[in-house]
Amino acid sequence: MAFTQLTSKMVRADVAPGRPLFSQRGAMLAYTGQVTFTPSITGGQGGIGSMIGRRVANEATPLMTVEGSGSVMFGHGGHHAHVIELTGETLHVESDRLLAFEGGLRQGTMFMGSQGGVMGVIRGQVTGQGLFTTTLSGSGAVAVLAHGGVFELPIRPGAAVHVDPQAYVAHRGEVRNRLSAAVGWRELVGRGSGETFQLELTGEGAVYVQASEEKL
Amino acid sequence: MSAAMGGPVVLDPYTLPSDDNVNPYAFSVDLNGEWFLQRGKMVAYYGRIDFHGLGHGPLDRLISVNFHSPLHAADWVVAQGQGKMLLADRAFDINSYDLADGNLTIRSGNLLAFQPGLSLKQSIIPGFLTLIGTGKFVAASNGAVVFVEPPVRVDPQALVGWADCPSPCHHYDHAYLRGVLGGVRMLTGLGGVSGEEHQFEFVGAGQVLLQSSERLMDDIDTGVVPRQPGVPAGQPHSGL
Repeated sequence: MAFTQLTSKMVRADVAPGRPLFSQRGAMLAYTGQVTFTPSITGGQGGIGSMIGRRVANEATPLMTVEGSGSVMFGHGGHHAHVIELTGETLHVESDRLLAFEGGLRQGTMFMGSQGGVMGVIRGQVTGQGLFTTTLSGSGAVAVLAHGGVFELPIRPGAAVHVDPQAYVAHRGEVRNRLSAAVGWRELVGRGSGETFQLELTGEGAVYVQASEEKL
Repeated sequence: MSAAMGGPVVLDPYTLPSDDNVNPYAFSVDLNGEWFLQRGKMVAYYGRIDFHGLGHGPLDRLISVNFHSPLHAADWVVAQGQGKMLLADRAFDINSYDLADGNLTIRSGNLLAFQPGLSLKQSIIPGFLTLIGTGKFVAASNGAVVFVEPPVRVDPQALVGWADCPSPCHHYDHAYLRGVLGGVRMLTGLGGVSGEEHQFEFVGAGQVLLQSSERLMDDIDTGVVPRQPGVPAGQPHSGL
């Protein structure tokens, strides 16, 4: 495992030759050994095509390549950090929540409308994800940032999970999500419960939820 | 931690921990004599405790032994008496550390309180204070403090302090701006900067204290140093 959780807000990652990492720029706290930090022009993986894709999708969080041999400590802005191990699944996460991830993971961009069409686009607006979200797939570790501690809720067939859009951090696996809106006359006259919109996640996988309704 | 899962714990003068954390954000001092604390960091106390501002008064002798720079003395308060005193600082994480005939240098804003067995001095490095001697001190940090053994390079904002290693120096890393591609990068700004071009480097035996975020606490004034040949950052009209 390349990432070790040191405290609730700090993650240590081991870097070795041939096993680079990507991390958010400016998120390095300390390092030992010979490690270099190079701002990644393409903002991640996949060459020029992916880079343009990310720029257009506004998912191009400034990343840097971390190479060499040694161990690096990451943390950012006093936010909680959480390590997610991927074993072949796909993780969907907002790019600005990415603290660091292993170079072996494939990075992509997904159009929110590809899941649920117009409803997907609206869902992106409500969760603050925008029109696009970042995907990471393959095997390796990812460290994500959250406001407050993060916990993992498993999603199994027949056991859908409903999540407050503001508390949603990321999800992995074969998961379909749908924005469910419970709009009644109370909402229309401004006497709603404050829980009108919920993300309904179904399928097989897990969703990561932060213990706060504050965005990063 | 005393807050067990069984419900709220009622703290009174007997159940409050003695020189230990009440929770990650508050520290309870078992006062029997004197402690020095930064102004405004006491949140509650039990017992008979007097708080003296530093200045001309009955504690002058004690202060002259423990403080070696008169100008930042105004930011410190002496707590004198007997009882339990709770310290906290804007919900930052609080930890106590023991020094046994040792030395530790810490960012001025992070130090909350210390026992009179320690003496407080200005560090040669501006903005830092050095504690020398034997005793306990209490420091605040943004997120729990992580101890790292040198050699290590640390982001300036993540550094809380260091103990025993006498080599804090600057390290610059612009390797990606060299060569032809690097030149293009530097001239055009293409690709941006990594934000990690500058670190503090520590080597030698000792411990480096890191906080887990890059958010800083406000510095408190460490006082000015006399303007003399050979004194870094010396300013005119020091009060010495």
